[in-house]
Amino acid sequence: MKLTLLVDIVGAGLMTGGIYALVALGLNLQYGLMRVLNVAHGEFLMIGAYLTYSLHTAWGVHPLLTLLITGPAAFVAGLVLHRLLYARVVAESESREALESRSLLLSFGLLFVLQNTALLLWSADLKGYSYLSTPFHVLGTVFPANRLVAACVALGLSVGFYLVLQRNLMGKAVRALMQEPEGAQLVGINISRLHGLCFGIGIAMSAVTGSLVSMLFELTPFMGLPYTVTALVVVILGGLGNVMGSLLGGLLLGLVETASVYLVASDIRIIASYAVLSLILVLKPSGLFGR
Amino acid sequence: MAARLAGAFALAALIAIPQVVTPYYRSLTLAILADVTLTVAWAFFSGPTRYLSLATGAFFGAGAYVTAVAGSRLPWPLPVVAAGGGGAVMALVVGALALRLRGPYFAVFTFGLAELTKHTLIWYETSVTGTVGRLILAPPAPLVLYYTVLALTVLAVTTSVLLRRSRWGYALVGIGADEERAATLGIDTTRVKVGTFALSAAFMAAAGAAMAPRWTYLDPQVFNPLVSFQTVIMALVGGAGTVIGPIAGAVFLGLASEILLLKFRYVYMLALGLTLIVVVLALPSGLAGLAARFQRRPSARQEPITPL
Repeated sequence: MKLTLLVDIVGAGLMTGGIYALVALGLNLQYGLMRVLNVAHGEFLMIGAYLTYSLHTAWGVHPLLTLLITGPAAFVAGLVLHRLLYARVVAESESREALESRSLLLSFGLLFVLQNTALLLWSADLKGYSYLSTPFHVLGTVFPANRLVAACVALGLSVGFYLVLQRNLMGKAVRALMQEPEGAQLVGINISRLHGLCFGIGIAMSAVTGSLVSMLFELTPFMGLPYTVTALVVVILGGLGNVMGSLLGGLLLGLVETASVYLVASDIRIIASYAVLSLILVLKPSGLFGR
Repeated sequence: MAARLAGAFALAALIAIPQVVTPYYRSLTLAILADVTLTVAWAFFSGPTRYLSLATGAFFGAGAYVTAVAGSRLPWPLPVVAAGGGGAVMALVVGALALRLRGPYFAVFTFGLAELTKHTLIWYETSVTGTVGRLILAPPAPLVLYYTVLALTVLAVTTSVLLRRSRWGYALVGIGADEERAATLGIDTTRVKVGTFALSAAFMAAAGAAMAPRWTYLDPQVFNPLVSFQTVIMALVGGAGTVIGPIAGAVFLGLASEILLLKFRYVYMLALGLTLIVVVLALPSGLAGLAARFQRRPSARQEPITPL
């Protein structure tokens, strides 16, 4: 294999992987903490992308600056949704299984609502704008500059979030809750406040990823579900509730996908990710890095 | 007794309907009958066991493809029978793999299965056969289709009634309540689960095969995740734990979808999502549970089977 091809694959793979890691981290935060599998996760990415598109094309806001709007807006939306929907289901469900299936159905309902709201607001036509599509030369190959920027922001946010979880008190509480929910309660961690907070952060991560994705690709109201599936693959790959696993899993999946596109064919990508998802679920449901 | 009378009356009416109404109402009834078949078949497996299956669209689509590929070579209703058999075999394989998974893993797996089948088929059609879809040549007469689907509906409802009364049905409820306890009590849980899953898939695939000639042209988009979700929502709105619940939910939402889907597609789907949210939050045992609550005010929360 030629060196440039390798650089091409690794570079493009890591760029895609950085985006994947950020979406997956958001999904994992919701599942690891609350046992709420939010299949509407990708829809928040889609909404974030459309918000950035509208802000940029209608008011000329710089795409990167819109992150400061989409992130907090999604965070507040997450808090509200948690209070209105998920907190009630968590409180009412008698068993973990009942909670898991009821919250799954809730998020399917949410998926329908968000996707069709977007269809009504923005129509089904492809939307897009061009930002920083100038070439950028690295080690003999060329990457579009916008991909590099988006990937750096995504990776920065992911790593930053991981460090926050490792270092400060809230992060410790979150990790405690993931590992031992009852024990965490015993030492005085306020579960329901933390749940709301993390649900909001998870959704904010998805929306911010959407803002980044809008710089790279054209938008459709149906773009959310593939990202949900990718995030699911990453989360299951890295282990449910395992933050580091999601980070590594995201990068790994980005590399594998890019390699398969470069070396085999581009339409094999979506088949590959569903196949990986099914295989891992059947063979090792606790994830590659799971215990 | 009352239920039996009502059933006989409904059946007589359904046999008579296509002879007296216009083709539009016949086709509307046909679509609702297909919805009822899918929902009842979904509910007799997923209702008692609480395994949330999102594979309905996969089995339905596979059945439709059987008609598209073999329909012109086999005399009617052989494609429907073949699709039923094929669906059952497909479910046996999938079930043996997937039914070890519990909770959301199972739901995600079955959803992924439907999408995997769809995308593989799209890839196969474009790169191997070089086509996008298939034409269904020489479809059977509309009346033949109607009575085929009606027969499937009657079979599915009968199966659901018989299952509830049998030891097999109690085993399913036992699995839903506590799978390990059921296994300890001597139930071969794998056999019961996979067997019922296959039976339910057979009905779904047969319904797909019987409905396919309505479209005349078929492409992989027939593996529509909306079919899976609609079925779940119909069953839950009606109440997945009863016989009448899924039927009521399918008739109610089936009518709504036939009337609204074409004119106000996005509004309808938005309303469907809201319905699902409201049902999960406010009506955990569906309309049937609501009716039961009005009939005999129970002491606390006692339902025959707590559905999903």
